[in-house]
Amino acid sequence: MNYMELLGALAPEAIVVLTALVALAVDLLVLRQAPQNARQVVAVSITAVGILAAIIALSVAAPSPPWMDGLLINHSTTAFLKQTLLVLALVAGILSIQSRFTQHTGEYVTLLLLSTVGMMLLVSSDNLLLMFVALELTSLPLYVLTAFNKESPSSSEASLKYFLIGSLSAACLLFGISLLYGLSGGITWTQLATTLRAGSEPIVYLALILTLIGFAFKVAAAPFHLWAPDVYQGAPTPVAAFIASGSKIASFYMFARIFMAALPGTAGSAAWSGATPGWVPLVAALAVVSMILGNVAAIAQRSVKRLLAYSAIGHAGYALLAILSNTEQGMGSLLYYVVTYAVTAMGAFAVVNVIERDVQAPNGESLTDFAGLSRRSPLLSLCLLVFVLSLAGIPPLAGFFGKFYIFIATAQSGTSQGLIWLVMLAIGTSAISLYYYLQILKQVYVVESVGQPTPVQLRPAESACIVAMACTVLILGCAPNWLINRFSPNSTEVRRAGVITKPSTTLELAAEIHPRITAPLGTATGLVQKRPQFETTTANAQ
Amino acid sequence: MPTLPDLLFYALAGFTLLFGFLCVANPFSRNPVTSAMFLVLTIISMAGLFVLLQAFFLAAVQVLVYAGAVMVLFLFVIMLLDIKEEERRRLNKAALGIGGVAVLAIAGLLVRALVQATPLASAAGQRAEGSTKPLGRLLFTEYLLPFEILSVLLLVAMVGVILLSKKEMK
Amino acid sequence: MTPLHYYLIFAALLFSVGLAGALMRRNAILVLIGIELMLNAANLNFIAFWRYSPTANELVGLMFVLFSIGIAAAEAAVGLAIIISIYRHHRSTQLQHVDRLKG
Repeated sequence: MNYMELLGALAPEAIVVLTALVALAVDLLVLRQAPQNARQVVAVSITAVGILAAIIALSVAAPSPPWMDGLLINHSTTAFLKQTLLVLALVAGILSIQSRFTQHTGEYVTLLLLSTVGMMLLVSSDNLLLMFVALELTSLPLYVLTAFNKESPSSSEASLKYFLIGSLSAACLLFGISLLYGLSGGITWTQLATTLRAGSEPIVYLALILTLIGFAFKVAAAPFHLWAPDVYQGAPTPVAAFIASGSKIASFYMFARIFMAALPGTAGSAAWSGATPGWVPLVAALAVVSMILGNVAAIAQRSVKRLLAYSAIGHAGYALLAILSNTEQGMGSLLYYVVTYAVTAMGAFAVVNVIERDVQAPNGESLTDFAGLSRRSPLLSLCLLVFVLSLAGIPPLAGFFGKFYIFIATAQSGTSQGLIWLVMLAIGTSAISLYYYLQILKQVYVVESVGQPTPVQLRPAESACIVAMACTVLILGCAPNWLINRFSPNSTEVRRAGVITKPSTTLELAAEIHPRITAPLGTATGLVQKRPQFETTTANAQ
Repeated sequence: MPTLPDLLFYALAGFTLLFGFLCVANPFSRNPVTSAMFLVLTIISMAGLFVLLQAFFLAAVQVLVYAGAVMVLFLFVIMLLDIKEEERRRLNKAALGIGGVAVLAIAGLLVRALVQATPLASAAGQRAEGSTKPLGRLLFTEYLLPFEILSVLLLVAMVGVILLSKKEMK
Repeated sequence: MTPLHYYLIFAALLFSVGLAGALMRRNAILVLIGIELMLNAANLNFIAFWRYSPTANELVGLMFVLFSIGIAAAEAAVGLAIIISIYRHHRSTQLQHVDRLKG
């Protein structure tokens, strides 16, 4: 154990913590009397500098040395995810400039950054203890941030619901972890993976169910989604945007890691005929309920934020399909999906934030506030068009390829296409979801606004963010290879824990469907074989 | 013939369950203060169980942090907000019944799963002791990272609590 | 020595009592008390598993409990602060009075 090496491996996180402290100190000590706007600009500028430094530190960081196994794992995938999280946090900071939900900018930025640190550690953690602590560090600031608008009763109500359901599921998770520890005698992924096997012991399943409850809450999968609509609607919009994007990425990655890497022996199967007990059928049940409930309940919503919340539940259902495919390919498709989803959701919330400020509605915006937006701000409505169509999964936007990769990974994974029924269901619910996404676009492009259309006030930094995110969604959709390539060769987590993945027959199928898809997957396999340390496992697999 | 530790286990476990039950569903009083006081008793008898398991340091921490700090916080808030009797609920007996049955079912499943499990671990190594010195050493070596994260977490709690409970000055 | 199973069954029962309290009480503070009971049950599991494990010298279970107590304290503090801010708006900590957000 070398403290300097540990600090070196954690330099980005340390930078972000320092930034948070500096922002708090500057705001409280120096800018006490300054006008609100100046304080916001200074706080966000400090954040931007710190986040930039952390991103640079991440891009030069070396992979974690072997002695850190069982504590921390850093490699290029975690570095990329952390960079994405940092960028999302910065956008959430920028969105809060000029919004009137709080006077306490310093505290806002501090809690936002410390929550981001929690997410970064969650992405890296390699044992149950660190995971639990990081999960709490992610959640606690988010509970407080949700209650940040002290004048609004809905804000504190949302926070109370988020907190109570969140700590209830954290208690379930802790009980599940205690059983996992007792059954395996250890807390690192490797120890869990080598000792836990599905057997006749019901206690293993009990531990799995309790652990699953904890994560299902974090990713807002039905039936543990009850907090999501209220929090999305009641929380200040930049906070809701961060909960919908950053928290999703970190939780989904950890969700997949703990089940794929630490609990491979207890997977079971969710094939239509011949399901066997394990966590896969449990995740399948969550996915089915989430896809149906999220997409059906979204139709009835009048508030765009609530609608986005139910659509997020549906999207969580699709992402769960990638987890239950339980292959390395599923992991790659999951990461592509959650990263593109996070950018899209952040963009959609950014647009909602602008509209909300524009209409000055005390209890959030409604669908009709978007009426005639295309006349009032063509740029904003174009960006919203991109985000909404990407959420709906229309090619050639990023959302389409996200779903496409997940469906392929899922269809491929089961023995003799046993999981096809899930893919069919997912495609069906995607079709339903088109209805409510088009409702938003109908308001924006077809319905006339009430009265004289006045142009929407946009700030330069904000519109730059929105346009940049729309472009990202567009580019990732047109060139999905770039992103999926980053994930495929490096989701070596699964391998490190000794999981033997199935040989990839996806290449042939993918080639028939779409020639462009073949390239990334092909290079992925190629890269894997170039790395000497993985040759043995690859050979085993084939 | 049950030995003394066995008897102590039964007594302490019985007390903990009894106090725990009284703290979530007290048939005699619906006052939150009573619940909080029963939580203190629950926690102290839990600390007794910790001692039986030879986790002496944690027993002390349990009493100091939970019964000392956390419960004072609970009582402080209950008295600050001057919460009187919890309202009697009209009807809703059905929901209560369903909830009770569900929880009983969960408890039954938990216990059944545990009873069916084959012996999980070998007999206890008598050498192991949860004394303070090795814990402290581990805390500053192997567990330094989570320890530091916990300190950040406490900072978050501090900032959050001050922010939320302070009255806004207009 | 008392068998490990007794401790585990006891912890499971305590967990269920806490869960019942958290799900069935309508006062936010009492829900929080129920959650504390659940966390305590998990802590007892950790210590019992540690005591009976062949690798007890590594103190893993004890460390987990130490951290879990710290986290529970932070969580309780934040929860009570949120309850105070709810009370400011609704003059009540009853969950059925806090129902502005619906749909």
